[in-house]
Amino acid sequence: MNCPLEAGNEGVLLDYAAGKLNADARAQMDRHMESCSACNQFAGAQAAVWQALDNWEPAEVSMDFDRRLYARIEQDVSWWTRLMRPLNPLFRHSVPIAATAGVVIMAGLLLNRPAAVPVAPVPQSAQVEALQPDQLQSALDDMEMLRQFNQLVPDSAAPKM
Amino acid sequence: MNERVDKDMGGLAATLDFDAELMLRVKDGDGASFTILLEKHRLPVIHFLYRMVQNQAVAEELAQEVFLRVYRSRGSYEPTAKFTTWLFRIATHLALNSLRDGKHRRLEEHLDDDSSETPVRQVSDQRPTVEQRMLHQSRLEEIRRAVATLPEKQRAAVLMHKYDEMEYSQIAKVLNCSESAIKSLLFRAYETLRARLAHMA
Repeated sequence: MNCPLEAGNEGVLLDYAAGKLNADARAQMDRHMESCSACNQFAGAQAAVWQALDNWEPAEVSMDFDRRLYARIEQDVSWWTRLMRPLNPLFRHSVPIAATAGVVIMAGLLLNRPAAVPVAPVPQSAQVEALQPDQLQSALDDMEMLRQFNQLVPDSAAPKM
Repeated sequence: MNERVDKDMGGLAATLDFDAELMLRVKDGDGASFTILLEKHRLPVIHFLYRMVQNQAVAEELAQEVFLRVYRSRGSYEPTAKFTTWLFRIATHLALNSLRDGKHRRLEEHLDDDSSETPVRQVSDQRPTVEQRMLHQSRLEEIRRAVATLPEKQRAAVLMHKYDEMEYSQIAKVLNCSESAIKSLLFRAYETLRARLAHMA
């Protein structure tokens, strides 16, 4: 086996230290390690790094992580969807019914539309001249004056018709 | 659902994971599938983010954002890669942004931190002595500092390689690099860590 360090194939050594090699490759590396001090040293140091990193345990996750996430997802839903959500069950059943009823009503209105009837012209109201009381009194006075004038005039003076 | 997945994935159908199938169900309006995904990936994502930013509160906040983005993206989700690749791509992106935005603030918080949030590990079946606990805390702090000194991409690559046992090819997809670049990245990162932590053996 060629030396991985000399061949520029350090990835094999990384995998060896990480225990990621399959059984055959691992056996080959074990045999190489017996005679290569450089690879042996590399693998030993890498194994120490690996072991050190194993000790780095992360902190525990907050209990309410999921609750906070779902609250944010809920907030993320559009305001219109949230507004309409309580009405969704209602709409789910009533919209088809209302739409059908609307179509039926519109069809009925179109089919039973009454024929056009000519509209009679609006008669103009009779114009009655209203007489004012003083005008009436003046007319009566004129008639009385004519009656008296006729009495004064002799019948011979009356013009012959 | 399987037929649909096969159709969507084409040649990738053989590599389709169950998570992608669950995500397609979420896309179809199945909220229960989202709960399953959350249950399965909550801890790996939070732990990855915690080790990236080294602050539990920030890590949980970022993890909330990760799963919120997953949920928001359900409508446009296409299983073109492993679900975890997509998930960790989102997580890494948010972690890197967070580190760049609040690097100094969080570093100060971290240095003031007495590490009380880290559970004390039982090294044997007997109660650890005060000295043992102090030694353990001191070693943990050394590990945390060693990881924190890595450049951000190296740090992300090491964490995915070590704790999430991802293959080089998957890490490459998450970090949008070639596989050879990831190998080089990891080699340099482990070289730094060996220099700082090898004495712990």
